[in-house]
Amino acid sequence: MAESQSASHADKSLEVLAHWNGRMREKLRHLVTDELIAEHARDPLGQHSDALERVLNYLRRAPQPGKYAVLCTDPYREYRIVVLAGARGQSARFLDERRFSTEKEALHAVFLERLKELRRG
Amino acid sequence: MADTKESIIPAKRIDGYTDRISVAPGERIRFMVSCQGVARYRADIVRLIHGDLNPAGPGFKEAEIASTVSGEYPGRNQPVRPGSHIEIDDARAMLNLSGAFSLHAFIMPTTPQAGRQGIVTRWRRDRAAGYALVLDESGRLALWLGDASGKSEKVAVEGGFIPWTWYSVGASYDPQTGIAIVARQAVVNSANSLIGRVAAPGQSAVAQKPLGRLEVSADAPFVIAGYAAGGPGARTVVEAHFNGKIEAPRVYSRALDASEFEALARGVEPDPRGLAARWDFAAEIGANGVPTDVISDRSGNGLNGRCVNMPARAMTGHGWTAREENYVHAPAQYGAIHFHDDDLEDAGWDADFEWAVPAGTKSDVYAVRLRGEGVERRVPFFIRPPRGTASARVAFLAPTASYMAYANFRISVEADVGQAILGQTPVLNPDDLYLAEHPEYGLSLYDLHSDMSGVCYSSRLRPILNMAPSFLGANGLWGLPADLDLVDWLNARGYQYDVVTDEDLHREGLALLRPYKVIVTGTHPEYWSGAMLDAMEEYLATGGRLMYLGGNGFYWVTTYHPEKPHLIEVRRGESGSRAWQARPGEYYHSTTGERGGLWRNRGRAPQKLVGVGFSAQGFDESSYYRRMSDSFDERVRFIFEGVGRDELVGNFGLVGGGAAGSEIDRYDLTLGTPPGAMLLAASEGHSDNYPHVVEEIMFMYPGVGGTQDPAVRADMVYFTTPGGGAVFSTGSISWCGSLSHNNYENNVSRITANVLERFMSDQPMK
Ligand SMILES: [Fe+2]
Repeated sequence: MAESQSASHADKSLEVLAHWNGRMREKLRHLVTDELIAEHARDPLGQHSDALERVLNYLRRAPQPGKYAVLCTDPYREYRIVVLAGARGQSARFLDERRFSTEKEALHAVFLERLKELRRG
Repeated sequence: MADTKESIIPAKRIDGYTDRISVAPGERIRFMVSCQGVARYRADIVRLIHGDLNPAGPGFKEAEIASTVSGEYPGRNQPVRPGSHIEIDDARAMLNLSGAFSLHAFIMPTTPQAGRQGIVTRWRRDRAAGYALVLDESGRLALWLGDASGKSEKVAVEGGFIPWTWYSVGASYDPQTGIAIVARQAVVNSANSLIGRVAAPGQSAVAQKPLGRLEVSADAPFVIAGYAAGGPGARTVVEAHFNGKIEAPRVYSRALDASEFEALARGVEPDPRGLAARWDFAAEIGANGVPTDVISDRSGNGLNGRCVNMPARAMTGHGWTAREENYVHAPAQYGAIHFHDDDLEDAGWDADFEWAVPAGTKSDVYAVRLRGEGVERRVPFFIRPPRGTASARVAFLAPTASYMAYANFRISVEADVGQAILGQTPVLNPDDLYLAEHPEYGLSLYDLHSDMSGVCYSSRLRPILNMAPSFLGANGLWGLPADLDLVDWLNARGYQYDVVTDEDLHREGLALLRPYKVIVTGTHPEYWSGAMLDAMEEYLATGGRLMYLGGNGFYWVTTYHPEKPHLIEVRRGESGSRAWQARPGEYYHSTTGERGGLWRNRGRAPQKLVGVGFSAQGFDESSYYRRMSDSFDERVRFIFEGVGRDELVGNFGLVGGGAAGSEIDRYDLTLGTPPGAMLLAASEGHSDNYPHVVEEIMFMYPGVGGTQDPAVRADMVYFTTPGGGAVFSTGSISWCGSLSHNNYENNVSRITANVLERFMSDQPMK
C-alpha cells in the first residue's frame, strides 16, 4: 500500500529546485551593485532597469514562511518590518525595532535585508 | 539586529457584522458584536463619507446620526465555530445502536495526516462514548467504540491514505462475537482521483480484532464529517472536522463481514437486511442545482439531515468518469460533498442591538461605530430608498458582491506569489495579521481552504475586517474605502444620490434601476450574477445610462444562493486572473446549476455591456490617459468641456499616483465593444508589473508586460444606447482616487462631473 508520508514518497523535485535556487542566486548576486541599490532607493515601485527587475522578480516570489513584509503601524505615519509566519494560524513578528516614517523607506529597508540574505548564499 | 518578541496585534478588539447589508427605511437591521478585553462599548450610527486617512487627500469624514442605537453596551466575547459537517435529525435515537452495527462510506481525504477527523460518527469526545468511524491521529482508518461506563476500544487499519484519492471505508462490530472489523480499499478510476491506476494505490486492507462485549450506547448526535465535543445542546459543538469528500454513507444494524465491505467497494449492494440509513447526497440535485442544506436518507427510515457551514455540493464522486461535467445531467456521479475544517457560513452571534430605520432616513452609506477602551470599529451597511421608490436621479450601485468575494482576503499574507502579483513588498495593516492568526473569521473567494482547495462560497454573516472605511490593503485602496472616494466626491460637489446594492439588483432586477437617470458603479464591480447583468443590459438597451468608473468589472460568473441572500458562490474556471482553479468536473455552481468561470466564456464579455473589459492588472503605480481623436468629436464636446486639447487626464491621484491603474480594461471590437463606440482616451506607460491578462494569452511568448504589450492600457469609452441611453466607461480602478486632487478641481473630476450632469438630464442622449 502506498503511503503518502513515507520517506520513499518525498517530493523529488525539491532537489531540482535547490539546484535552481543556487544557480539563480549566484547569477543575481553579480547583478547587485551600488547603482542598482541606489536605483531602488530612489523608487522602490514602478518600472526599473532590467537588472533590478530581475533581482526583484526573484525576491518577490520567495516562499511565504519567513518572508518580510511591511506593517503599517500608524496609517501614513509609521511603518515597520515584519517576518511572516507563512502558515495560517501562526503569528508574524517584528524583525527589529526600526520604525520608518514613509512606505518607501520601509520598502527599501526590506530590499536591503533581502540583499543581505542573498549575499550570504 | 535581534528579533523582538513584541506582540504585533493589539489585545483589545471589537468586531461585528449585521444581519443585512441593505436596509430600507421602516425596516430593522440587527447588529452582532463580539469584544475581546473590552468590558463596555459605545455604539452610534454614522453616515460614511470618506475613509482613506491619506494626508494628501480629503481625510476621514463621517456624520453622526441621532438614532435609537446610540448608547453604551456591555462587551462580551462571542466565539466563531468554523468547519462544515452534517447533523442527522434522529429525534427517536434510531441510530443509538447498542447491538451489532456497521458503517460504510466512500471518502476522498485531502489532509489525512492533519489529525483526528470524524467520518461517520455517533460519538461524544468528552465521554469517549458511542461509535465513530474516523481518521485517527496517525492518519489511519479507525473504529472507536465506547460504552456508558467509560470503557472504550479503538481498532485501526495500518497504513495511510493517499491524499485526494478515493477509498471505500467501512467498519462493523458484533457484541455477540466481540469482533470488530475495519476495512479500507482504494477505488481509483482514470479520472476520479489525484493519481491514476498506474500508481498502484493498493489492495484492500482489513483489520479484525476481538474486543469482547461492549454496549456502545451514548447520548450523542449523529454527525457526518466530524464528531460532537459533548452531548446534544441548543447548538451542537462539532470538532475534528473532516477535510475532503464523503459520499454515500450508510449504517446497518448488523455486522457486515469483510466480503460484504469488498462488495460495497465494487458497487455491489449487499443483503439489505438491517439497513438503518443510507444517505444519497445527489438526491437533492435538480434542474436549478442543489441549493439546499437538506440531506436525504433513502433507507426508508426518514433519518434526514442538514449541512452546517456550507460544505461544497455538486462535487465529483468516486464514480465520476469525466464524460459529463454538468452535475445536473449526471447526478449519480456527483454524490459527493466536500467538507472543510474552515468552512464558515454564519458566525452565529447573538445580536447586541437592532435599529428600526426611521422613515425619511436618507439613502446612503452608513456604519455602526463601536468604541470602547481605545478600540474602534465601524461595521458598514447601506440604506436604500423605500422599496419601489427613488429619491434622486443618480444611484450609486454599491458592489456588495465584490465586497463579499474579497471578504477577509488573505493573499498578500499567505500566497507565495502575493508579492509578485503586487509588484512590491506588501504593506499590511494589523487586521491583515489578525486574520493570518485567526482563520476562524473565514476566507475570501481568493483564498484556499486548509486542504488547498479553492474557496467557492462567501457569506457576509461574519466579521469582514477589510470592509471598513479606512482599511488600507496591500493592494492599496480597495473595495469600500476606494468607493468612498466617489461618495465623498458626490458630497463635495453637492449631487443628490441614492445608494442601492448588488443584492438589491439581483433580487429586484430592472425595477430597481428603472427610476434612475444614471447608475454609477463603484471602483471594482467584478462579481455579477446573471440576473444583475440581465437587469443592467435591459436598463441600458431601453434608455438607461451608466457610468462605469471602475476596472475588471462584470467579470466572474457569480450566483446568490436562492434562499440565503447572505451567500454567494464563484467557481473559478479554466481562465481568468484566478487565485485557484476548480477541479475537473466542478465548474458548475451548486447554488443554481450554472456554469461558473468568466462571463466572457459564456458569451457575455464585459465589452458587450460597457465597451471595455479586463486587460491588465498591476499594483506598483498608476498612469494617466492621453486623449484620442474621438474625444474631439462634436458629439462628446460635453464630456471634455474645460479640458485642454493636450492635457493628460489623471496624471495625479491617491491610488498609485494616477487615474489609470490597479486593474484596467480595454476597448476591443473582437470582444463585442459596440461598433459605434467612441474611444475617447487611452492610458500609457504602464510597468511590466502589469502583465496582459491570462485569458488572452494563447501561444506563450515573452514581452506581455506593460512596457512591451499594447493591450496593457485603460480605455475611456463612450457610446449611446437605444432609447436615449448611454454608457461612459473609464476602465480603471484608480479613477476615483484622482477625484479629490487639488480640492476636487482637476480634469478627472471635471470629466466625471460633465458626464454625470449630462446623464442626469431628462434630455435623451443622441
Ligand atoms: Fe479583481
